[in-house]
Amino acid sequence: MKTSLSGTSYSAMKRALLAALFFFFACTVIVAEEKRYVVPIGDSPQLGPANAPVTIIEFLDFQ
Amino acid sequence: MGVGPTVKKILNTYKGKIRLVIKNYPYKYRDYSHIAAEAALAARDQGKYWEMHDLLLEKSPKLDRADLIQYAQQLGLDVKKFTKCLDTMCHAGQIERDKKLAVDMDLYNTPTFFINGRKVIGERPFEYFKQIIDEELKNAKQ
Repeated sequence: MKTSLSGTSYSAMKRALLAALFFFFACTVIVAEEKRYVVPIGDSPQLGPANAPVTIIEFLDFQ
Repeated sequence: MGVGPTVKKILNTYKGKIRLVIKNYPYKYRDYSHIAAEAALAARDQGKYWEMHDLLLEKSPKLDRADLIQYAQQLGLDVKKFTKCLDTMCHAGQIERDKKLAVDMDLYNTPTFFINGRKVIGERPFEYFKQIIDEELKNAKQ
């Protein structure tokens, strides 16, 4: 009896865990479009106000 | 290159609202990519980074050593100092740091842009940038 009870709760836990994993996976897919990368600016050349609402970081090859 | 005019248009359209930061990602299989990046940073040492940046984009791919020295002359730089910097690759450290960052971020294309962290790969029309920038400005106001 005890064994079967703990067996049930184990499989319920497994189901809950799978559901949670699926939920996070779904979130990742939805958010992927809006992913924001953190790019350190360091002492790279910059133009425009430091407190500008929009910062554009350009990886550039002159050739 | 071709992207120069688009970036210029963005800066002119959104004056005071945009900060533009340049990272060097010279492609290793192109002859003049590295030396051109060196030239831009050598010009920066003399306070003329953006002038050189614009000129290099305009003249690309005419970017061999003699071309670059001529551009330095054209911008009124101290050519001796500029040439020494070019020949000793005096900014190789910074360029390699930028390259490592690009590789670590898994970037394969230039130009690649990050607009408030949102990645835009390759050359895109002005309207494409405008849509993202307008969204970001709207977000900033809220």
